[in-house]
Amino acid sequence: MKKVIVVLTVLLIFLIGFLIINHNKYYSRNLFYMDTYIDIKIKAKNKNQADKVLDKVDNIFHEYHMLTDRYNGYIGLINVYEINNTKKKDKSLKIDKKLYDLIDYGLKLKSKTNNLLDINIGYAVDVWKKYREKGEGIPKLSELQSNTNDIVLLENNTIKNNHPNIDLGSITKGYVTKLVGDYLKSEKIEDFIINAGGNVLVGNKTNGYKIGVKSPNDNGIFKVLKANDVAVVTSGSYERYYKYNGKLYHHIIDPVSLFPPNYMKSVTVICKDSSLADSLSTTLFLMSIDDGKEFIKKYQDVNVIWYSNDDKVITTEGISKYE
Amino acid sequence: MNKYDFILIGVVLFVFIGLTIFINFNSKSGNKALVYYDNKLVLEVNLDQKRQFYNVLGYNGNVVILKENGKIRVTEEVSPYHICSKQGFISKTYESIVCLPNKIVIKIEGKSNLDGVIG
Repeated sequence: MKKVIVVLTVLLIFLIGFLIINHNKYYSRNLFYMDTYIDIKIKAKNKNQADKVLDKVDNIFHEYHMLTDRYNGYIGLINVYEINNTKKKDKSLKIDKKLYDLIDYGLKLKSKTNNLLDINIGYAVDVWKKYREKGEGIPKLSELQSNTNDIVLLENNTIKNNHPNIDLGSITKGYVTKLVGDYLKSEKIEDFIINAGGNVLVGNKTNGYKIGVKSPNDNGIFKVLKANDVAVVTSGSYERYYKYNGKLYHHIIDPVSLFPPNYMKSVTVICKDSSLADSLSTTLFLMSIDDGKEFIKKYQDVNVIWYSNDDKVITTEGISKYE
Repeated sequence: MNKYDFILIGVVLFVFIGLTIFINFNSKSGNKALVYYDNKLVLEVNLDQKRQFYNVLGYNGNVVILKENGKIRVTEEVSPYHICSKQGFISKTYESIVCLPNKIVIKIEGKSNLDGVIG
């Protein structure tokens, strides 16, 4: 009897010790890229593993930050700034495969989204940015129109040197978040949450992640989604905007009308693929809620929450599985 | 069983109870604001009722932070649009203040039933 108790006790102590030592912990990292605060939290075996993985994540975001930067050139790198403003006379420019693939992805979205996603919209974006920074007045349509050349991708990771006005802001965050999620999984990190300025991607954990969706009116949470292995992306008019003559002008520009529309206060898209979620949230923000309901029907397993101008919450049916 | 067995069992129970209390104590304390400069934790503030100003160094210079009535805000910083000063007070665990030009982030730590927030 005594021996049994001693053995059990020793086993118990070992078990507790094992649990304490091998207790995976959360590690987080703050990143500041793409004009956004990026917050990453992962569950890792130890600090060494976490540091190694988070350094790599930092590298991925940093690389895409530089490649897609519209306002700064970097010596030795042909990025979006260089493509838009280059003084080189060559007929074409050789670019990094990563940037080539991202531009290619962006170009293909245009026809899929009734022309509502246009990565050649840099000119109008810059004009609106100037007005937003001044905080008054609105541009005339003629100010917004430009005869920017089309973006033409050529073979072997080259792009025609014709000074387009590329702006990848509406797709890069979701695209890179997806890459980072894939990388984390390849490192056997299953439990993670990435929040890159309105782009959330979660991994897997028991009971799922609880993600609060913020109300566009105040700081309250109007809906809580419970999910695993899913991306949640919100587009809204309430973050970067200015008001002029009682009307709100935000930063998401319709490439067809060249103005920021006010169909709704915000729209949130939930699906597995964070790059798809990012592009769809922008697209849905640029059409009426009714048109959006029709548009989204052709997508499998994509769910949407609209927050209307009169503060009604409208959702697709499938949203119930996240409740 | 003799008395040593009882002592042994007592010790094991004691360790167990001690651990439970320790773990609970660590996760139970009230809301705290954590202020980061880039990835470095530069300030921890217990969100109690007392009114108190703090100064931390951001990328562009001093960032002045005010705590009162269980809330925290940025009152002064050097940046083009003063977005974080205009944001006002935060107090809930899912709220944060981000001053991008200064690479300053204020997060609220405490018990939360949410893993993340969007929008």
